[in-house]
Amino acid sequence: MPPKSSSGKEKDIAEEDEVLQAVILADSFNKRFKPLTVGKPRCLLPICNATLLDWTFESLALAGVQEIFVICRSYADQVKAAIRDSKWSKPSTGIKIVPIVTAKETFSPGDAMRDIYTHQIITSDFVLVTGDLVSNVRIDEVVRLHKERRRTNKDAIMTMVVKEAGAAHRTRSRGVSGVYVLDPNTSECLHYEPVLGYPPASHVTVPREILAEHPEVEIRNDFIDCSIDVCSVEVPSLFQDNFDYGDIRRDFVYGVLTSDLLMKNVYCYVAKDGYAARVADTRSYDAVSKDILSRWTFPLVPDDNHPGGHSYEHLRGNKYIPKDNSVSLSRTCKIGNNTLIGPHTTVSENASIHASVIGQRCTIGPGATLHDAYIFDDTEVGAGCVVEGSIIGSRVKLGKGVRVPRGCLIADGVVIGEGARLRKFERISKKRVAPTKSEDDGSDGDDEEDEDSELEEVEEHQEDAPRVLGNNSNALVWPRGSPEDDEDELDDREHYNNLRLMRIGDDASDLELSDAGSTTSSDTETDSEFSSMHALSRTSSMTSASMSLSTADPSARTSAIHTLSSAAAETEFRSEVAQSLERAFAEGHSVENAAVELKTLRMASNVPLRRVREAVVGAIVDRVPLVVGDAAAQRNEIAKTVRRWGPLIDKIGGVDPVETVEVLQYHCAAAGPRQGLFAQMLVALYQQDLVDEDDIRAWHQSPAAKGEGVKHNAALVEGLKKCWDVGAKLLEQLGEDSEEESEEESEEEEAPKAKAQAKAAAKEESESEEESEDGSDGSEESAPSKPAPTQHSAPAPSTSSKPTKAEPESESEEESESEESDTPPAKPTSQPAQPSVPPKTAPAPAAAPMSAPAPSSAAAAATQSATTSVPVGAPSAPASQAKVAKAESSEESSEGSEEGSEEGESGEEEGGP
Amino acid sequence: MDFDESSNKIVPREFVAVVLAGFGNELLPLTGSHGDEPCLKALLPIGNKPMIEYPLAWIEQSGVTDILLICPTTHRSAMSNYIQSDVSSSFPSLRIDLQTFEQSQDMAVGTCALLRHFSSRIQSDFIILPCDFVPPPSLGLNQVLNKFRTESTYDGSIATVCFYEAGRPDKGTTTEEWGMLPSNVPIVFDERSGTLLYVDTPDDVDKNSEEFEFRMSLLTQYPRTKLSSSFRDSHVYVCKRTVLDVLNEKSHLDSLKEEFIPWLCKPQYQRTRREKYGNILSPVTNNVFQGPALKHSTLHLPTQHKHLRHSSEDADADDEHLRSVVPSPVDNEDEDAVEPSLRVGLIAHRSSSGFASRANNLHTYLELNRFFLGQTSYTLPSDPENRSLIDQKAQISADSMIGRSTRVDERTSIKRSVIGQHCVIGKMAKIVGCVILDHCVIADGAKLDGCILGVYTKVGAKAELSRCVTQPGYEVSPGESARNEKLEVSDWAAHETSEDQDSGDEDESTEEESDD
Repeated sequence: MPPKSSSGKEKDIAEEDEVLQAVILADSFNKRFKPLTVGKPRCLLPICNATLLDWTFESLALAGVQEIFVICRSYADQVKAAIRDSKWSKPSTGIKIVPIVTAKETFSPGDAMRDIYTHQIITSDFVLVTGDLVSNVRIDEVVRLHKERRRTNKDAIMTMVVKEAGAAHRTRSRGVSGVYVLDPNTSECLHYEPVLGYPPASHVTVPREILAEHPEVEIRNDFIDCSIDVCSVEVPSLFQDNFDYGDIRRDFVYGVLTSDLLMKNVYCYVAKDGYAARVADTRSYDAVSKDILSRWTFPLVPDDNHPGGHSYEHLRGNKYIPKDNSVSLSRTCKIGNNTLIGPHTTVSENASIHASVIGQRCTIGPGATLHDAYIFDDTEVGAGCVVEGSIIGSRVKLGKGVRVPRGCLIADGVVIGEGARLRKFERISKKRVAPTKSEDDGSDGDDEEDEDSELEEVEEHQEDAPRVLGNNSNALVWPRGSPEDDEDELDDREHYNNLRLMRIGDDASDLELSDAGSTTSSDTETDSEFSSMHALSRTSSMTSASMSLSTADPSARTSAIHTLSSAAAETEFRSEVAQSLERAFAEGHSVENAAVELKTLRMASNVPLRRVREAVVGAIVDRVPLVVGDAAAQRNEIAKTVRRWGPLIDKIGGVDPVETVEVLQYHCAAAGPRQGLFAQMLVALYQQDLVDEDDIRAWHQSPAAKGEGVKHNAALVEGLKKCWDVGAKLLEQLGEDSEEESEEESEEEEAPKAKAQAKAAAKEESESEEESEDGSDGSEESAPSKPAPTQHSAPAPSTSSKPTKAEPESESEEESESEESDTPPAKPTSQPAQPSVPPKTAPAPAAAPMSAPAPSSAAAAATQSATTSVPVGAPSAPASQAKVAKAESSEESSEGSEEGSEEGESGEEEGGP
Repeated sequence: MDFDESSNKIVPREFVAVVLAGFGNELLPLTGSHGDEPCLKALLPIGNKPMIEYPLAWIEQSGVTDILLICPTTHRSAMSNYIQSDVSSSFPSLRIDLQTFEQSQDMAVGTCALLRHFSSRIQSDFIILPCDFVPPPSLGLNQVLNKFRTESTYDGSIATVCFYEAGRPDKGTTTEEWGMLPSNVPIVFDERSGTLLYVDTPDDVDKNSEEFEFRMSLLTQYPRTKLSSSFRDSHVYVCKRTVLDVLNEKSHLDSLKEEFIPWLCKPQYQRTRREKYGNILSPVTNNVFQGPALKHSTLHLPTQHKHLRHSSEDADADDEHLRSVVPSPVDNEDEDAVEPSLRVGLIAHRSSSGFASRANNLHTYLELNRFFLGQTSYTLPSDPENRSLIDQKAQISADSMIGRSTRVDERTSIKRSVIGQHCVIGKMAKIVGCVILDHCVIADGAKLDGCILGVYTKVGAKAELSRCVTQPGYEVSPGESARNEKLEVSDWAAHETSEDQDSGDEDESTEEESDD
């Protein structure tokens, strides 16, 4: 919370007499009134012959507001002009109205609130309303209560005005509503749950923890949200802090109430009497008009306090005729109840008008029938026209005998030819004429551009327009039904079916709106079967139109888009990580810093942890410089790199050594020349305690390690296989050692701990190489692991496994010697990690030694690679190749086997007798 | 004479009261057996009266005479003894049909299964009562019945249930060692019409332990409801006979309280369930000829959801957006007669208008006893025989009760306690806030604070017990002291006496079924 707001809070508690501020969000941030709002903002649409903005001013003036900020975005110039001309801007009213034009990027009330915050115009508690409010609620009373509450509870940041009604009240929005959970005594709002009309919500969830402090609460689904909020100064700053808050109810109120951190309270003011409603859509336009005409909004009624400044005479049956006698009513016309006729309008003979509002200077032709029609200024309705449940803009000309059935919206200036029969819910606007267009919208760029593109789209679909509109029409027919594209980009409130619920004249009776219930899992099978059957029958009874609107399509599309975008994100992520690690390696960052950077990257591109691991392990492997021809040096390099960067693997946000090994395997297997590094890397990781024996074992048993699931890439599978074999060896070595440890069998000298051995080996690599030549102790230690599998499987099948295991050790001493004598020719310093070496035939025989009680291990293999360095790099030598084929696939092990096979004889000799 | 009798036969009985007397596992060890003798929960005294007398008196006051009393087979002899000796004298108008059901204390049978088993014996609308509900004096069973009578006739209501407000248990009087503190069940109800709409069940908690999930259809039909956790289920349900048919169909349900009643709340607002069970719950009855009259009633609101569903064809014909706002009686003409609401009525009894509780666990059992102590004022027995048993120098506070033939020796002080019959209390004993059942022997100088002693408990000299509960026949050795414990006859003793003793230590098992 910035200090500014807290000081403001202090001030408002301290001072009593201060200016009551109000903020009007004059933009609606949606397109529900299109095409009526082509070329003008919604707040300047007239309702009962006065603009919505004027009604809002009137409502606020009634509450004693002294300073009003009007936040406008589209058509800001028109709004400004309207404010200038409004009677409330006259100095005598004592109200200061300040228009504030927000950025074009303001797309939601939340954005507007953030704008308010940046403008720093709010000094105390303020009233926040929308620019389409009609209300006679005593907002000053709400403000008083709010301030009183604030005195005791500074966290009461907001008071929402709601009006009690029924769940199906005509003024209550069917499309967007909310369920409020209130404390019945304090009317604190404990929970708010937004409810959509379509698709119908089946459940409302209420947090259980509410009951802990409030044992008895009320769940209200009968409120009309008047969108009058008394907010404290913190509210704009909360919007600023939570940049994702868009809507005031769905995001802000819901967010504040469900947040564990904010600890703010929101209260409701349940208006028992008084009227307040928003004209948020065409349906509520109809409802609010009717409410005004039937005087629910008293004292704001056409015959008194008319915001447009007209004065009407109130006749029996809620008919309103201008007092100045400017209307010419034919003797034979019929004016029904709930009708308002604007000044200077002419109603010809035999016309009948029921429950309608006619603007100023209109002409209603002879024999025309208007029912629930809303006609703006300067419109001509031709003879014999029938208009029902529709809104017709200003300067419209309906030719003779035009029929306008329910739900049509006709924009300003449209001319419809004689005898045209519109379809229901037709939306019609005027064709753009190039010169007038430039005239009209010289003012605002962006919005009009937006609109232009929209109009262009409309223009593309004009096939049936002439048929509908009759001759001499200048109009465009807007597409009907659900827009095919960009449905899934929209806020779910603005989806077509939900909008239908907010459309004038649309009863949406073909939509399934009520919640059928009982498909819950808690129910029995019979129940769910039953209900699904019913759901089926219901669906089939739906109209085909709504069937085609089913959401399956867009969702499929979304998921496809998701996978695409995530793939893109991953490639991007990989390159980013590579760069980041490169930098880290090059500049010698600390492991911690590198880890932080990786975490940030991961969050930014939202990839699974495994990808990070892959990237890190890969980078480390690639980091190891290849030392061709010197195994010891190679091992040194690996140890150095792993010592330095190995810890990073466990710092990327999760420790999973099994995965690490797997990732290492895949990377090595895939990365051709570095395949041979796998064994040494694994040993190095083991030495660094980044993986332990159990992890390797777990990896080894996992299907992924065996290359299952990798089908299409033979080379990869092969590489995997080799790595797997190496792992098997290492495991056996480890297992053997641990067995020795536990059993304490046999010769002490031969019980070198595998780990110690491996470590020692790693450190003494260079020595050991020499040692192996010298036949010193070091070689003895490293040697035991060498005995080849073949040798044991053959000679000692009868001996128990323990002896078999022990045997090689005992042999080893001699072996090492024999090795010395045998191996020297094999010592040539070829790089053990040559991928070309393993012959294709290797994998198959490799399986056999695996299952045999082969005591060789990868650790040993590693040492072997150093100590013995069989000339594996020479695939040209057919002899060695044959030997290799006998044993394992990877070079090290093949070396081992080679030696083993050579040693085999000696072993046999020794073991046999 | 003849005339009288025949008229009795002609008038069919309106209700049968089904009283369920279970084992009372939540009241262990008090309901553990004493030797071979089971100690019946229904006969545990509250304020020195067997607890079953409270519901029986309640039933009698309402004019219902037929009672189906269901108890475990092992309790049969004790129960029938009690009925023959006591009930027939104190409630002469009641006709009690005692039925037993084979079950053991470990494997109690669910209340739904009991009802299903005896459904052939219930041919009329019925009232289900537990044996442990102590009704508030301000609320007669007749009030519940009248609500049911009205609503089932005019509104198609299927059941009326009774919940009572229970304060949060005050800390300090009881301890956690006695088992889980009783908790209230969150419910949703409509206060204006007295309709129960939702009962939270353990299943719901399992499914979503963070949030309640309410059906939108509930909130649409009842836009203004209360969610409350201050009530408890009294287990008093008045149901139409048809409810049994549904119960027979829903064969997997086990507990009335935790499963069936919550389920029964749902057809009133869920259309699919209504379609499925509506005919069973409310077969075509006299509603037909009440329809026209009800249509003109201003109080009666026809169910709204019908209006929203019209096929698109006839949507052209009329202006429906107006119609859904102001439903006029004329619109309904083509539809069937008023659809039965299938409502579950609710009497929500506030604690401000009288204390009510169920003695279904040790906490509430003690609480109820104390409540009755607060109502009485102790005076020395008037008949010389009993009077002579109580020593002159014993101090007995006014808010205590002492049963017949109980002996109290000198310098013993008894405060806020209930002492049963045929007890012997030695010298210098101190008994505060205790409930001591019949035939207990308390030796000299023993100190008891907040204890409940089962029948035939023997407390040795100078033993000190604080907040303990004892199994019938338990013997506290002299000088022993214990706090916050459940004292049970040990196992070897159990083997000597009876088999089913060893269930004594698993009192935490949460079988609600068995204790009603």
